[in-house]
Amino acid sequence: MLRFTATRLVQLVVICFLISVFAFLLVHLLPGDPTLAILGPNDTPAARAVLLHQLGLNKGLLAQYGTWIVNIFHGNLGASFLTKQTVTNALSVAVPIDLELIVVSQVLALLVAIPMALIAALRPNRAFDRVATTSTFAMLSLPTFVAGPLLVLVFAVTLKWVPATGFNRLSQGLGPNLKSVILPSVALAIGSITVYYRLLRADLIATLQEDFVTMARSKGLSTRYILLRHVMRPSSFSLLAGAGISIGTLFTGAFVVEVLFQLPGIGFQLVQAIYGRDYLVVQGMALVAAVAFVVVNFGVDYLLTVLDPRVRRA
Amino acid sequence: MPELPSYVALESESTLALDSTPGMGVQALQSRLPASGLFSRKGGLGLTFWICLGWVVFMILLAVLASVLPIKAPNFQDYSAVNVGPTARHLLGTDDLGRDLLSRVIFGSRVSLVIGFAPILAGLVIGGAAGLLAGYRSGPADTVLNAVSFVLLAFPALLAIMVIETFWKPVSLFKLTVMFTFVAAPLLFRVIRATTLSFSSREFVVAARATGAKTSRLLLRELLPNIVPAAVSFALIGVAIAIVLEGSLAFLGLSIGLPTSSLGNIINDGVNSNNLTLNPFIALWPSLYIFLLLTALNLMADRLRSYFDLREVTL
Amino acid sequence: MSRWSRRPQLSFPDVGSIEGPLLEVIDLHTSFRTGRGLVRAVDGVSLTLGRGRTLGVVGESGSGKTVLSRSIMGLVPGSNVERSGVVRFSGHDLTAMSLAELREVWGMQVALVFQDPMTALNPVVRVGRQITESLRLRAGLDRKAARETAVALLKSVGIPAPEQRLRNYPHELSGGMRQRVMIAIAVACGPKLLLADEPTTGLDVTVQAQILDLLAAQQSERHMGMILVTHDLGVVANRTDDIMVMYAGRVVEQAPTAELFAHTRMPYTEALMRSIPRLAEASHTRLRAIPGRPPDLAADLRGCRFAPRCPYVQEHCRKEEPPLRAAGQGHLFRCWYPVGSAEGDAALAYNVASRLPAALAFTGTPVRDAAMVAPNGVGIT
Repeated sequence: MLRFTATRLVQLVVICFLISVFAFLLVHLLPGDPTLAILGPNDTPAARAVLLHQLGLNKGLLAQYGTWIVNIFHGNLGASFLTKQTVTNALSVAVPIDLELIVVSQVLALLVAIPMALIAALRPNRAFDRVATTSTFAMLSLPTFVAGPLLVLVFAVTLKWVPATGFNRLSQGLGPNLKSVILPSVALAIGSITVYYRLLRADLIATLQEDFVTMARSKGLSTRYILLRHVMRPSSFSLLAGAGISIGTLFTGAFVVEVLFQLPGIGFQLVQAIYGRDYLVVQGMALVAAVAFVVVNFGVDYLLTVLDPRVRRA
Repeated sequence: MPELPSYVALESESTLALDSTPGMGVQALQSRLPASGLFSRKGGLGLTFWICLGWVVFMILLAVLASVLPIKAPNFQDYSAVNVGPTARHLLGTDDLGRDLLSRVIFGSRVSLVIGFAPILAGLVIGGAAGLLAGYRSGPADTVLNAVSFVLLAFPALLAIMVIETFWKPVSLFKLTVMFTFVAAPLLFRVIRATTLSFSSREFVVAARATGAKTSRLLLRELLPNIVPAAVSFALIGVAIAIVLEGSLAFLGLSIGLPTSSLGNIINDGVNSNNLTLNPFIALWPSLYIFLLLTALNLMADRLRSYFDLREVTL
Repeated sequence: MSRWSRRPQLSFPDVGSIEGPLLEVIDLHTSFRTGRGLVRAVDGVSLTLGRGRTLGVVGESGSGKTVLSRSIMGLVPGSNVERSGVVRFSGHDLTAMSLAELREVWGMQVALVFQDPMTALNPVVRVGRQITESLRLRAGLDRKAARETAVALLKSVGIPAPEQRLRNYPHELSGGMRQRVMIAIAVACGPKLLLADEPTTGLDVTVQAQILDLLAAQQSERHMGMILVTHDLGVVANRTDDIMVMYAGRVVEQAPTAELFAHTRMPYTEALMRSIPRLAEASHTRLRAIPGRPPDLAADLRGCRFAPRCPYVQEHCRKEEPPLRAAGQGHLFRCWYPVGSAEGDAALAYNVASRLPAALAFTGTPVRDAAMVAPNGVGIT
């Protein structure tokens, strides 16, 4: 058990290391001189030389990478040239927004997908199942950049129920906070609903064919009890895996929604940084986003292995 | 409640005295494709599948033949017909600059379709071949490739693409295709590797090898026909994802530059606050097009998967 | 009591006060509509079982015996199932009941012991809960009482350290223990009828004997009726009052156990008995398997269903299916040329002379050339 955990941790560290290298190289190997972007009209050879030295860009790649990594371990992810804000600062603003978006959207998606899947699995290929499968297919074919504006058009512009853009922090009250978050969460949830529904439904149908379900029926237990106490548990493993992947990708995948609704999450800030050639910010945030994805995935993977009593551990 | 499995499946015992069924070995040697042909099992692939396929082919034809079709030029700005709804002259209406929407959508679909299919095809060739080999022969190369693909996949693709784009101007169709291929190849590599792995240990492969089949023959004749359905199914989903990816990039203005507009660009134009309220058609038609295309692709992929997935077959 | 549903009220007469048989099955048919046609898994089976009696149902794969046990309970679900016939249990007609009423019967009055405890027990639910859930939800016990009863049940089925076992998961127990748990679950609510579906298949031979003894003990203690379904004649030889032999969905012979072994009438039963290897025989004695395979139940079957594999078969058998006829006390059989009769002996001799492969295999003549294949196209093993 301990050995298993240790192996996984080592793998995690190696992957994170590789990601950091990748993020670093991505930014540094591309053509284009960041100094030009930073200096703008004040671009003179002298100024450039000074800036190069300041940024440490005249040192070798390896040295630059080393400095960056060391800085990270000191908690210093770098700072933006444009806003003069540190990356950590920017993250402290962005991460709560993303977390809230992720939590609300996934909870919404699950609240819709789980009951749908339960009903559909009980009567597969009948009316409800067909309708549900078709409509989730439709949701799958609605990309966020289509669904988002549509939602804005209907709910924000026409009905004026919620604001179209902007984020209200929790400190400003739960009501306004939820209002600013609900529309982007729905837009994000749409994609997830299909995935959860299909995963869960497939698992449920497979589980329902197991012998132990027939045995439970032969004990005279009610369908509701069997579903909730016998069938849901073994069927939720793939749901958990799916949720892990969803959550992992949403850290950056939400950027369409963030840009559309003007929510300063990680994706939004990254886009700004990329536009502005703010390479340190790009590097730092890319690293954080990728590491978050990997950590979540590893965590879910680990959790699955630990939770499933069917897995025999020597 | 679910159906009881067929009576055959219920009996699983075999005592020496009573069981005289021969040929368990024979059954092991049969690979899993239906012996009687591609379309005879379970009533074939179904009407829905063929309709979807026909629709996709139709869309592709429209895009390929765009220049010879009797439609207006996509970038011609007719200021006398700005924001006009669907009429006989402009079947889908015009946008805020007087450009015919029908031809914009058709010409725009060219970009979207290329971005959708080209990287996936390239990814299939590269990643698929690598996956086949890696899955069949697990060696040091396999471990390395596996690790590399995992890292590549862990890194947010969109991010990498956005970063590369801002530095590698100007963005062209070719460059986008290359970048997308870098995303598609590792994904297809992993899928095909996993499928190959699950088949390599099956008895028919072992049997073929035991009779002295050469590796190349094994790969081509035994493994490939079984892997193709899963690969195609996944590839179709990949196309859908690529199209959406391009759309998301366009949303940020990071897709193909003007004058060639992709569908994503058109949608992006159409959803800024002015156009959305004044002329929703600008966003509507390309959205509808993408919606139908994605639905067709997803339905096809799903049907292929369920047709060839033995686990779902019940007697 | 139960907070999960409101239950229909059915009354079942008490322990000793049953008049008439405990279970009566009258012409039960169960068929499945499949892509290949209508598969008639149970094709007209009738039986009677009294309280405290044991009936053994014997047959090979595909004989319909498992479908029979589930069909008696009404447990065969699915939209492609056709069932007809009458099943009368303790005065109630099970075939006419609604699902809700049947649920009242299941577990409390009739219980099924499944074949494979590894798949019949939920792998992610603890053993204790799988026992107590019926006690709590069906018998209305509270948590404490249910737990105590579960411990007592586990003790009565011979599981050591029962308190610890409650917290185990199924895969943490050995095969024999799992089957004991299954039996404990089945008898938990005190059913009057126990259907045991291949309860010993897959277990070690020594464990098999223990499990069968356990079943017998539980049965006599609780005065239950029991139907023991198996493919193994050895299992039913000493432990049943009556035996019913099934083939291809039909009953082909039915008799009290001693009578069946002493005066076998149906060639299939005879072949089954002969196929059991005996310790007394020399080593390397060839096993006398029955060549061929059971017929396809979706096909249109004409004549006796065992004809393709029967050593006694004659033209008449292929044309017309023999009906169930009586031969003495409660002995029914289905054959035109029964074993031990003059017609039967003559038929066998005739077949041996005309070198019918099944007859040759029966009399032990070794197979010498490839042309000797059984009529349904399969080589003799």
